[in-house]
Amino acid sequence: MKVVALSLALAVAMTACRGVPEPSALTLGVSALGTEAAVVRGQLERFRALHPDIAVEVRATPDAADIRHQLYVQWLNARASEPDVLQLDVIWTPEFAAAGWILPLERFQPREDDFFSAAIAANRWRGRLYGLPWFVDVGMLYWRTDLLKTPPTDFATLADQTRDRSVPYGLVWQGARYEGLVTVFLEHLGGFGGRILDDQGRVVVDSGEAVRALEYMRDAIRRDHVVPADALGWQEEHARFAFQNGQALMMRNWPYAVALLQDPSQSKVSGRFALAPMPAAAGGESTAALGGSQLAINAHSEQPEAAYELMQFLLAPAQMLERARVAGQYPSRPTLYDGRELADALGVQPSDVRRIIERAVPRPVTPVYSELSEILQIHLHRALSGQEEPRAALTAAAQSIRYLLQRAELAP
Amino acid sequence: MTMRAAVSALERRERRTAWLLMAPALGTIALVVVFPIAWTLWESLHLHDLRMPWLGRPFIGVQNYAEALTDARFWSALGHTLLFTASSVTLEAVCGLGLALLLNRPSPTRGALRAAALLPWAMPTVVAALVWRFMFEGQAGIANTALLGIGAIAAPVSWLTDPGFAWIPLILADAWKTTPFVALLLLAGLQQIDPALYEAARIDGAGSWQRFRAITWPLLRPALIVAVLFRALDAFRVFDLIFVLTGGGPGTATETVTLYSFTTLLRNLRFGVGSALSMIIFAVAFAGALATIRLFGASLVRGRE
Repeated sequence: MKVVALSLALAVAMTACRGVPEPSALTLGVSALGTEAAVVRGQLERFRALHPDIAVEVRATPDAADIRHQLYVQWLNARASEPDVLQLDVIWTPEFAAAGWILPLERFQPREDDFFSAAIAANRWRGRLYGLPWFVDVGMLYWRTDLLKTPPTDFATLADQTRDRSVPYGLVWQGARYEGLVTVFLEHLGGFGGRILDDQGRVVVDSGEAVRALEYMRDAIRRDHVVPADALGWQEEHARFAFQNGQALMMRNWPYAVALLQDPSQSKVSGRFALAPMPAAAGGESTAALGGSQLAINAHSEQPEAAYELMQFLLAPAQMLERARVAGQYPSRPTLYDGRELADALGVQPSDVRRIIERAVPRPVTPVYSELSEILQIHLHRALSGQEEPRAALTAAAQSIRYLLQRAELAP
Repeated sequence: MTMRAAVSALERRERRTAWLLMAPALGTIALVVVFPIAWTLWESLHLHDLRMPWLGRPFIGVQNYAEALTDARFWSALGHTLLFTASSVTLEAVCGLGLALLLNRPSPTRGALRAAALLPWAMPTVVAALVWRFMFEGQAGIANTALLGIGAIAAPVSWLTDPGFAWIPLILADAWKTTPFVALLLLAGLQQIDPALYEAARIDGAGSWQRFRAITWPLLRPALIVAVLFRALDAFRVFDLIFVLTGGGPGTATETVTLYSFTTLLRNLRFGVGSALSMIIFAVAFAGALATIRLFGASLVRGRE
């Protein structure tokens, strides 16, 4: 699987190197699969009509996040001037900014107040803004309206509500050892009032709140059987299948699942579920992990002005609404959630969604996030599979993360 | 021009031609074997972290090796690799021997049986691993249902997310996949044994166990050693099977050295430490192969006499 993906990435890279038609063409590196590709193609068509002087084309990049990351690193590390505009995952901006691979944006005077503040925060590194949010993803609680009267607002109620259930699972989430596990942990962590790094960048993931959050997650699996043990091997789609087949009372997942769950041809819960913010415990508050894509400009781009022009066009309200309508992706501009248009596009109450996005927290904003995440993934997974006690797991993780920050010369 | 001078000139010219003719082969070997190893060695002596370009790329001597060798995760990965290699190769040797003996018996369906036995080996590892994953995944999976049905287990087991149980599907899948390979090598060895030996033994009144012990076993040993050596080297480098079945998890409970070096090198883009890890794995595998040949080389030769 890996090999196929790698060779695919290589093939893409090779075509990218060969097919340069004219030096002045602006290039946009994006994921170009399915409906997203159609949206981008149509939007570029309109951009060309508005700016006949700017030639622009798409550089398709692999859809799998880590393969795309690898490809970008190879290109940017080699100081390639293409693609001019890059679609970045929310956790990559600080890494690329610290490496000097993407441009700080203040010279273009972007109106950052127009976007969700958490999404802007994720695009800042050392006080400067390096990217603008294109669309946002947030972790949410899906709950069965036919089996529950109200969604749980705190973790204790959640456990009570799942006790005498008529379906096999109380709650399902993503517990495999991968990035998704960190986002689920982040939401529990915030719910208990803990954080991974504090405002000064110090590692605080071994705090008492964090230990309680992880203990809660472990007990949910191993003691209370609210979450199935199988979830330790699950990613987004596994959880969606379980919920869609009517096996679970609740599910933590990203917004993409809404459209699929509403489709009666494949879903048994169509019309029988709703969205709510994740629960919290005393001392914490409901937290959603922030995901989504950003647009940024290659530091070696030969035409940064034109690149920003393109970025502005793609980030305009009309384009965002179209993306929401066609691909179901949430706009990064809060004002769009007031209009009628988005309600029709998303099929859920925009005000509900907006409430959740406003509670979203970015994952630690640091250039070494991927390695930090890997350390957490390993220790979280060990704790959840009973190999380490939560306190020992988080102490070990914090120690490794401190060493990582020190090695990267980023220690506070 | 004297005769001798003419000969030596001819010799020199021939020698030159010989080098010229060998040059493409030598060049290819240098390009595909020597160069990558030398490059990896060079990388392993530098701090080279693609994720931290601000650190530069200084020469740091053997620091990467020191980091790798003092890393608990590396040692546990090495332990997992040795455990996996020892148990899967043992199982494969035993099953492979049984299968080879079975296939060697004259029977009308022998041809069809041989083809069927080879099937798992012909299947791409990734595909086979996905099938095994499907069987062992989840508490309501095929393996759990079957084992509960026959009463082998009292409650469903989380095969792939339990640090101990996860080894069972991994080792079974590897044995299922490569036993045919071992059997094939052993079958070739069995067919080289002179049938006259068995006839003579039978006339002398030797039972089937005695015949196996005194004829088959000693004469099959060279083939068995070759099969075990090949399998051990392969099992030591196991990657795709574990990548698909457990991804090295839960936590890092089934992580092998190849998975660890893959993560370091290609996921975390730590070229320096990753290269050091690759060199260490290379050295261990090479030493292992050398030791095996040293230990059993003599018996290989004796076996042929």
